[in-house]
Amino acid sequence: MQGQTAVGLSSVTKKFGEDVVAVDDVDLEIEDGEFFSLLGPSGCGKTTTLRMIAGLEFPTDGSVRIFGEEMGLRPPNKRPVNTVFQSYALFPHMNVEDNIGFGLRMQKVEKTEIRTRVGETIDLVRLTGLNTRRPGALSGGQQQRVALARALVNQPKVLLLDEPLGALDLKLRQTMQLELKDIQANVGITFVYVTHDQEEALTMSDRIAVMDEGKLAQVGGSEDIYESPSSLFVASFVGEMSFLPGEIAESGSVRLAGGEVVQARTGSLAPGTSVTLTLRPEKLHLYGDASEAPSGRNAIDGTVTRKTFFGGALSYEVDLGASGSFDVRVENIPSMKRWDVGDKVVVDFHTEAATALAE
Amino acid sequence: MTLTDERSSSHEETAVNPKLERKAHRRESWRGFLHAVPAYVYLIIFFVLPLIIVYVFSFASRSRTGRPELEGWNVDSWTRLTDELVRTIVTRSLWMAILNTVLCLIIGYQFAYWIATRRSQKVRSFLLILVLIPFWSNFLVRTYAWRMLLDSDGYITQIGELTGLWGRMLFTIPAVFIGLLYGYLPFMVLPLYAAIERIDWSLVEAARDLYASGVKAFLRVTLPLSKPGIIAGSILVFIPSLGAYVTPDILGGAKTTLLGNFIVTQFGAARNWPFGSALSGAILIVMLLATIVYFRTGGRTV
Repeated sequence: MQGQTAVGLSSVTKKFGEDVVAVDDVDLEIEDGEFFSLLGPSGCGKTTTLRMIAGLEFPTDGSVRIFGEEMGLRPPNKRPVNTVFQSYALFPHMNVEDNIGFGLRMQKVEKTEIRTRVGETIDLVRLTGLNTRRPGALSGGQQQRVALARALVNQPKVLLLDEPLGALDLKLRQTMQLELKDIQANVGITFVYVTHDQEEALTMSDRIAVMDEGKLAQVGGSEDIYESPSSLFVASFVGEMSFLPGEIAESGSVRLAGGEVVQARTGSLAPGTSVTLTLRPEKLHLYGDASEAPSGRNAIDGTVTRKTFFGGALSYEVDLGASGSFDVRVENIPSMKRWDVGDKVVVDFHTEAATALAE
Repeated sequence: MTLTDERSSSHEETAVNPKLERKAHRRESWRGFLHAVPAYVYLIIFFVLPLIIVYVFSFASRSRTGRPELEGWNVDSWTRLTDELVRTIVTRSLWMAILNTVLCLIIGYQFAYWIATRRSQKVRSFLLILVLIPFWSNFLVRTYAWRMLLDSDGYITQIGELTGLWGRMLFTIPAVFIGLLYGYLPFMVLPLYAAIERIDWSLVEAARDLYASGVKAFLRVTLPLSKPGIIAGSILVFIPSLGAYVTPDILGGAKTTLLGNFIVTQFGAARNWPFGSALSGAILIVMLLATIVYFRTGGRTV
């Protein structure tokens, strides 16, 4: 990371009408060369934020800067950014070549140069041989590549992507994720990527901004967001998570509703604060007996109440009685011990695996 | 489910009987045909037969009094179509129709675009109803209303005289154009609206994002994508404008001979039915060919 700010947002607010606040006082710095994701449920304001960077919407308040330059009310055609639209928005009356060359033609780039650059980009996104096809005669994946090429060919300083893989099926989406990441590494352009798919965001991004109801919930690296969510919203939105209600017993331990006291990360929360203990299913271990569990760690008694088979893994729902219940995910490996519904088990987890978050 | 049910359903799954399928198809198309019978009958009696009569009469001869005689078949009426007089009238009518189509297109496009870009569906429906309201009263009545407006003591003339910009308009060429424009504008607005409303606005956004100015985005994206509406609207306006009779007659005072009133004259005062028939028949053929060519070449849509 070069450390230069590619996109800067300062107290950006966007209202639609009087009452609808789509984006609420957002401050954000996206660094040059970064793969940055805006992640959140639908209606959280992530697309609106992207559109304000593109110039397709103007902020009600606050400022948008691209490489230090104030954008103000500058129209989209005068901004050094390009967008890959969710619906692709390919021009149906133009073939692949003309679609990709559109931006260059509008910038009055010389004809021979347009031909070279369009050709290169077609190869880059692996559409070779489809030059004269109309978008209607392309598959979803191919259309997606044209949309990407049409933006990339202009060599924008920042590429904005609005859920570009949303319409593709799972397998194709996974392939395209890796491909997008490779392309980004090759061209070195800053990518701002909007998605509601947390797995996609975790896989691809250098940094992620989780958004909720127009506000930034947390900004950080993928691992940061996953391992240390700063709020219950982020904890529940990113990855699988189980929740147990409780209160801080003392610094470093939490008393669950059923009376068990477990060691957990409590941060600076004061004793007596009511909290929710968050547990990642894959960080928990099941044993038949407390003596089997490694000593000096949390070991709570529970009962298996549900068993779900995923192929690569199994998930057990374990009931703790008054303390609630949570999920335990176990990789499907040969040495794995299988449990059945009704089995008494001991759940063990490392202190680091449990985080207490205030309501 | 009973045992027999199960057997029959499994039978259907395993063996699709092609004969049965064909039979079902035939029954389906027969039923479709029955639904269309009333329309066919109507069209044959009131459209195809009269048309045949027109073409038959165009080859007929005339008695000394001008009565058409269904004997002495000849092509005289058709050869007369190349007369100097006919050519002048055709050229004049063509120009009038073309000019009216262009005027309708320019005014209609802006209006249709404006309606189609209203956010609320209710507003759009309301504006469309406004376009359709004139159809609720008779075309002849509306044309006479224009006659009142354009006459010496009409409002429009009074406004013109007050401002000193124009005088009495009735029985002038501008009056005819006002009438034609008024009469045929809805036929342009409706197909244009349908075409523009269908355009995916993210395409325009994409164009703007790809360095197109507002004007460029319109010319390169919106306009080409509304082509189906432009073509449909132009045909709907051009064809009736070419044969317009009522408007030039009432508002133009029949001072200039156009195709419409020229044909009427043949069937009336001139008492030359064969020639009138040949004129009508020729226009129909030319229009049909022009429309087909138009659709085959420029009319192919995305």
